[in-house]
Amino acid sequence: MRHFSRTLTVVCYMILIVLAAVALHADDRSPSKVKASAIKVEMVQSEGIKLPAEFQVALYENMIQQLKKKSGFAQVFRDGDRNTRDIPHLVVMRSTVTSFKEGSERKRQVTTVAGATSITVHCQFRDSSGNVVLERDINGKVRFFGANLKATYDFAKRAACVAHDNFSSM
Amino acid sequence: MVKAVGIALVCLLAVAAFSNTAGYQGATTGLQGGPSREDPIKSVDVIGLVGVKDKTAGMLTVRAAKLHFASPKGTADIDATSIEDVLTGNDSQRAIHGTAGTISMFGPYGSGRFLSLFRSKVDILTIQYRDADGGLHGAIFTMPPGESEPLKKKLLAAGARTSIPSQPSAEASSTEASGHTEAKP
Repeated sequence: MRHFSRTLTVVCYMILIVLAAVALHADDRSPSKVKASAIKVEMVQSEGIKLPAEFQVALYENMIQQLKKKSGFAQVFRDGDRNTRDIPHLVVMRSTVTSFKEGSERKRQVTTVAGATSITVHCQFRDSSGNVVLERDINGKVRFFGANLKATYDFAKRAACVAHDNFSSM
Repeated sequence: MVKAVGIALVCLLAVAAFSNTAGYQGATTGLQGGPSREDPIKSVDVIGLVGVKDKTAGMLTVRAAKLHFASPKGTADIDATSIEDVLTGNDSQRAIHGTAGTISMFGPYGSGRFLSLFRSKVDILTIQYRDADGGLHGAIFTMPPGESEPLKKKLLAAGARTSIPSQPSAEASSTEASGHTEAKP
């Protein structure tokens, strides 16, 4: 009986510790979100890196598609859109490709382990006064199935998740 | 029994791959032998056309100073004068692609991997254009080899602009053979 009560006490303590850890982790994961009403996506730049034109365009277009789907912004504007002039609390997303490794679809499909395509993009989110409110390096990869351009889709999904986690619509 | 079915499946897929590649090469040689450049070009809109779903196959033409994409699922017109950049490149894709290609990946005895070795070349045409509000769009098309450069020339003649001028045909053919792709600096 004494042994049973001791075991029960130890189990209770362990449950309490796990619950406390979960609560603390939840607090860490919910940072204060930046309020924004709309986002403007600028064309992806590639300083010092030879990026094929189709990758540049695919990055930009996929990013716009994914931000419209997942980010929660009420409006997503394109680079140069004149309608952004009167939008308050506009966030501008500026992206620069920092590394790019074009793999081979054939190698991926034949060997499974070789030929991955990876792309790293430095993303800056600026408010309407030009201050950087968020800065992240986001990766896009294609390891097994799909064409090389699928890496741009992977990047766009991750970028939209970052925007969703850090911005809230007004 | 299972082995026989597997071998038969591998043979069927290999025949399909060869016939696909042969047909494609035949079409290419036919085009090189004096094509009518006013004909629509069979192409696939990979991404970026407004009003057309991604990866839609259709016909691409340049007429009345517009780039016209027509498919059963939708059409799109882009004014050549609104096109700020036209770039060409080339790539390759699996000879058996699409749903059949995905299914063939799971073929027995590594046949899916074997079939991945059979690939067909494609040309890539990338454009950047502005909409009525000034918003920048990008679109990517794939088409049979040798089609992107004439299309680029037609777009430039219709008022489009490019950051990389068209190459002479001899130089273009040599770069095509080496797998060159125009890249933004």
